[in-house]
Parts: sequence; C-alpha cells; structure tokens
Amino acid sequence: MVQYVLRRIFLTPITLFAVFTIVFLVMRVAPGDPATVILGSFASEEALQAVRRTMGLDKPLYLQYVESLSGLLRGDLGRSMITNASVAYQIRKALPYTLDLMVAGTFFSLLFGIPFGILTALKRNQFWDYFGRSVSLAGLSTPSFLLGLLGLWALSIKIPLFPSLGGGEIGNLLSRVHHLFLPSLTLGLIQASFISRMTRSSLLNILQEDYIRTARAKGLNKRIVILRHAFRNCLIPIVTLVGLYVGILIADSVLIEVVFNRPGIGKLMVGSVKNRDYIMVQSIMTVYAAMVVFINLITDLTYGFFDPRVKYR
Amino acid sequence: MKERWRKNLVYLGLVAAIALLATTLPPETYGARKQELRIAFDAGDTMGFDPHKQAPPDMDAFVNATIYRGLVRFKPGDTHPDKIEPDMAESWDVSKDRLVWTFKIRKGIQWHKGFGEFTAQDAEYSLRRSMDPTKCFAARNYEAVKEVKTLDRYTLQINLKQPVPSLLGLLTNYHGGMMVCSRALEKYDKDYPLNPIGTGPFMFESYEPQQKTVLARHDQYFRGKPILEKIVVRYMTDLTTREFAIQKGDVDVTQGLREQQWVEKMSPYKDITVDVFGPGEMVSIFLNQSKKPLDDVRVRRAISHAINKDELMKMIGKDVTSPLKSVIPANYLGGIEKGLPEYDFNIEKAKKLLAEAGYPKGIDLEMVNTEMMVYWRPMEVIQEHLRKAGINLKINPVVHSAFHSLIRKDVNPIVMYICARFPVADIYLTQFFHSRSTIGTPTAVTNFSHYTSIDNLLDEARVSSRPDEQKRMWQEAQRKILEDAVAYPLYISKFVYGRKNYVDYGYKLDSTLIYAPEVFENTRLLD
Repeated sequence: MVQYVLRRIFLTPITLFAVFTIVFLVMRVAPGDPATVILGSFASEEALQAVRRTMGLDKPLYLQYVESLSGLLRGDLGRSMITNASVAYQIRKALPYTLDLMVAGTFFSLLFGIPFGILTALKRNQFWDYFGRSVSLAGLSTPSFLLGLLGLWALSIKIPLFPSLGGGEIGNLLSRVHHLFLPSLTLGLIQASFISRMTRSSLLNILQEDYIRTARAKGLNKRIVILRHAFRNCLIPIVTLVGLYVGILIADSVLIEVVFNRPGIGKLMVGSVKNRDYIMVQSIMTVYAAMVVFINLITDLTYGFFDPRVKYR
Repeated sequence: MKERWRKNLVYLGLVAAIALLATTLPPETYGARKQELRIAFDAGDTMGFDPHKQAPPDMDAFVNATIYRGLVRFKPGDTHPDKIEPDMAESWDVSKDRLVWTFKIRKGIQWHKGFGEFTAQDAEYSLRRSMDPTKCFAARNYEAVKEVKTLDRYTLQINLKQPVPSLLGLLTNYHGGMMVCSRALEKYDKDYPLNPIGTGPFMFESYEPQQKTVLARHDQYFRGKPILEKIVVRYMTDLTTREFAIQKGDVDVTQGLREQQWVEKMSPYKDITVDVFGPGEMVSIFLNQSKKPLDDVRVRRAISHAINKDELMKMIGKDVTSPLKSVIPANYLGGIEKGLPEYDFNIEKAKKLLAEAGYPKGIDLEMVNTEMMVYWRPMEVIQEHLRKAGINLKINPVVHSAFHSLIRKDVNPIVMYICARFPVADIYLTQFFHSRSTIGTPTAVTNFSHYTSIDNLLDEARVSSRPDEQKRMWQEAQRKILEDAVAYPLYISKFVYGRKNYVDYGYKLDSTLIYAPEVFENTRLLD
C-alpha cells in the first residue's frame, strides 16, 4: 500500500506542471491583460506600455514562463498583479471558508441523499419512489443560485434567522456556523439529488445479488441485511461520487459564494480570470489542481477500507 | 437491536436539536443609531488603494476620496470647475501669464497614523509621483507642468510650460491630485496598496479579501473630527443580494442598477430613497472613418439619422438619463447647448443617404461589445434601429477586459464607449478626437474615429490665455465633430444608489466625480 501511495505522489508533479503550462498559455492567448484591466476606460497606449513594463509583461514569453515556474517551485506563489497582495495570503484567507462549505455541503448531501436513496430503492415503484425521484429531479434541475436566493429570502429576509451576507468571523465558531448554514444547505440539497439517485441504483443492483437472498433465507432481520450487508457494498460508488464532486465543488460553489457574499477559492479564481491577473490565476489553479489530486488519492485509498478485497499494487 | 436503533435516534435527535438551537441566534441589532455607515458596491474585491497606480473603479474611488485630500476640492456635491474651493491649500496666487502658481498650505494638517504633518515638501513629492508615467496612469494630464518647487515648509510653487485649461482641477482629490505620503510609500513599499495613508477624514483600518474594507475616523482631520466612527465597504456582485441586504438593514447604502426599472423596483420601500445623480457618464458611439463604408460621411450621417434617441432614452429610463446634444455635456467647461448640427430621427433620410453613397441595399457591419449591462442594453436597441434603415449590425459579446483590449486593436467600425472625464472640454476632446490619440499609434488614447480635422482648434485652445477664446474654439470643435458625424452622442447615464432614509450625506448630492456618493466629516446617520 505504501508503494502505491508513493507512486501516486510521484506522479502528482507531472499533473501540476501540465496544469500550470496550459493555464499560462491560455491566459496569454485570451484578449486583455492586467494592464488593460487596471487602466480600464482610461487606457492610452503610453500608459499601457508603462504599466506592462512595471509588471514585467514586456519580457519575452519564455522568460516570464521560467520566472513564474521557478517561483512556484520555490514555494513562492507570487503577488497579485492588480493589488500586489500576496497570493498565498489571499488563498489562506479564502481557504477556511471554502473548506467549511465543502465539508458542510457534503455533510448535508449525505444526510439527505443516502436515506432518500435507500427509501426509494426499498419502496421501488411505489409512491415513495416516485415522490423521491421527482424531488431529486427537481434538485438536479434547480440552479444553485435560484435555490440560494429562495433560501435567503425565506430564512434571512422574511424570517430573519440567518445573516444575509458574509462568511462570518473565522475565529468565532458560532458566527462561522451561523453564516454557513444556508449556503451549505443549498449546496447540500442539490448534491443530495445526485447522491440519492446513485444510492438508489447501487442498492437496487445489490439487492438482486445471491448473497442477499441467502441472508434473508437464513432468517436475518431485513433491516440488518440492508444496512449491514447491502449498504456497505454500495458505498464505493457513493464515495467515488463524493470524491469527484468535492473536486468540482470548489468551482461549482462560485454562484453560492456570489449569492451569499461569502469569500472562497472559487470566487477568487473567477475574479482573477476576469481581471486577467496572470500570476494569481496560475498560482491558484496549480494549488487547486494539487487539492483535487490529493482528494482523489484519499478517495482511492478509502476503497480498501470499504471493500477488503481491494489490493493496492 | 431495537435498543440500538432507539439510542441512535436519540443521539441524532439531540445533535439536530443542538444544531437548530445554535442556528437560531438573534440577528445583530443596531440599537440607538451607531455612527457606522455600511455601503455595498457591485464589485468582487478591491484593486488596492494606491490612487495613482490605476484608474480606480467605483468602490475604490469611494474609499480613495475618504482617505486622500488634494490641495483644493470641488464644492461638495457639485462638479463644476468654476466652484473649486480651497482644501489643504488655504489660498493661492497666480502670475499674470498664468504660468506660475503659488500655494499656501494650511498649517497643522496631520497624516493618518502618526506619519507627521503635511508640508509643501509632501505635496511636491506627491505631485512628482503623479507626473511620472511609470507610477501614475494620469501622468499625461500633467504634461504642461515644468517644475514643482517647495519654497518653504508651507509654500508650494508650480511652474507651467504653457497655460493649462484648469490647473486647479488637476489638484483636487481626484486621480493625480490625491496627495500620498512619501514616508508611507517607503515603509510599506509593495504592500502600500493595502496600507494607504492620507490626510482625509477617514483612514484605512482593515481589509478582508472578497468581503469588505473597513475605514475608521481620523480624529485629527483638519476640518474637524468626523461624525461617523466607521465606514464599512462591502463587495457584493449580486444585485438581488444587495437589495436583500438594504431591505433587511444589513447595509445602509447600496449601488443600484442604472436603469428606470430599478428605481421603480425600490419605490415601494418607504424607508429607502433612490438617489440619481450626475455628472453621469456620456454614452456615445464612435464611427471609425478608417473602415469602409464608414469612410463616406453620408454613411455616417445615415447611421446618425437612423437612431431614435428619444426611444432609446425612454427604454433605459427617464429618471436615469439626461439628453446629450454634443459629445460632451453642456455643463462641462467649454460645453455648448445650442447651435449644433442635429440628426433628427428619420429612417427615410438614412436610406436616401445610403443610396446616395452607393449602398441602396443597405450595409453589413460587425462589432464587438462588452457584455456589461450599461453598454449592452443601449447597443441592442440601436441594433434594432439600424436594422430598419437597412444597416445590419452583428454584435459579438465579449468580457469587459477583453473589450477594452480589442477595441484598441481597431477591430470595430462602431465603438460604443461610456465614460466621464474631468469636466473641461479639452480633456475629452483631445482623448477622443485629436489625431495624436488615434488608435494604433504609439500615442494612442481613444480616438476610435481616426479623426484628424480639429487638431488646430484643440492645440490653440489648450494654450490660449483668454477663457472666452478657448470656449469659442472648443465649441467650434464640437460643431465640426457632429458635422463630420465621426461620433454620435446618445445620452447621459446617471448614477443610481439606494440609501436608507436615516443616512444624511451632509450636502446636496447633485454631482460627484467618484461615481458614488461622497462621504465627508459631517455625513451622519440620523436616529
């Protein structure tokens, strides 16, 4: 197993290097650069050239590439080309909020998704199945910002239970949770739709299996059969889904972050792309890629925990 | 087994109960009105508070205007250059030839956070920085300044190479005129944009990325201790969320949408007032005479005739627009109200002109436009108008940053541009219509039309020492622009902000150059 983990870790830099290179090239091909953004409607050719010189954008492309890359290899994420604020500082500030959202969102998605999935699988083709599947279809189809705005209107404006803006103070746990509830619930409910469908189809497959029939024939309690024997086996697809989803979640959460006015890595990424802040985009994307690779590794490792037959070579 | 189930359920129930309890915290209450102004802007984050490094977008212009002061200032709420009054300079002398200006600086002005007293030397340092094109985006404006000298601790002298239409305007707390502290720049260096130091009524306190910037009262402000204790600037890109926030009372002022429908949407809320104020931005289209078939003046005139300005203004909204007869507003220094060539809305005339120019079947044009709503909405309407006259205009949407880059690469036959400039005719006319500013040249600014015919008028007017002669020449220039149809002025788009009734700015908000309500030492929240 250790060999497996080490091998995976060694392959990571290749992925990150590829990501960095692609992002570097794509950003520079797109029209607009940080100088245009800084000067806005006041841009004149002279001013643009002067700003580009200050930013080092007049240097040949390969030189810029080598400089940025060597910075990253040293662990220096650089400074924003727009505000000069350190990229590491911005990521450090936004990361706790993103992690909060990821964890809480996943928690709610499992809390609602799995029971619903089990229910619709067991009551297949009966009322609860049709009801459950319609609800999950609605969840899949609803845009996250719409659900967010509805939740905001209902539970923050009409009935002032929750705050309408901000991420809360990181130091204050109560404030953090208070600001976290609505956005993570919104995210969780939508994600739950996917989880419930996956659980349902997984469970239905397993319930057909011979060993389930044997367990029931043995006289085992129905509840135990489902929860102990059947459910354990459908965890792998769910874990895979959650692992994949967590990777996409950072980018997906941008709309939620905009609606609830929460800071986050997703919003930071989108903002820096819009601002053509080359250095920020390069560094954040590389960090993001590293996070996704890491999460996928953890996901793969948990298979062994759920299914003892899995071996790591 | 049933035991375990019941126990698990009890645990789950307890957890849910605790979670629910934790979340039913009472919302923050503001009892007797705390003097803290919370304002929400349509922005994702700040671009930093170095006033010279970049042209500040609205939310940063707002903060800069509270942190920094200039030698002089506009009368609060009024942007007419004739009403400029003393600020950090208490008086000044001008030589007869208008080339030597000597300013007496008030004694006892304190920089924020113990950076000492503001002196003529500080002013000299700051102005030199504004004149440096590697440090200041507006350096071009100070071209005519030959020298800046400190005569003594409180006296500053500025020597000009030639007379300038409004030197005082260049010394207000707007763009290059904002005074920065040399010692702070040295101390903070690269970190300065997020550690600004000024002499204004409010100083920078803290910043949370993507969330807010907090300003605190500067007790030693030279006009007196400000009433407000804090200002919280929030970055909120979603309009609906900003509306919720102000309705709920989580913010006191919010940036609105510059359209009638938003004004009407806010009208049922009796505790919210919508302020619509100027000077607004001029919305105009520029016709590129270097791109066929717009090289023919008849085609350009046809385009002008095809546009129904009244309907356009009605669509955007009568409360949020003002008529614009010339490329600059009539109330700019050098503006003109009457005696301009006009292009009445007349589809038949447009078709006739096109036919005369050799295009009886109409013409096809293609342009890029930014998806930013303020630009997109009017261009959509114009597209329809032009279609009726046989002009088929294809519009390709792009992101705003890409837009500004592409139009400077001369890709468009028609360019829609929305901006305001310092309210003196020379600046706008030179940037948009002087041949030196033509797009694609090393000295390019924003002459999208590739116009060359008013260079003499502008050059002479700029250095003239007779204000009436200057005005005459600027007005003549504007007449020619319309005659040659190299641009078509559409309307003025005003600024729209919602505020709670208990916010008292302390002056009549008619017009501010920062695109947002300005906050002074006497701004307060009523009970």
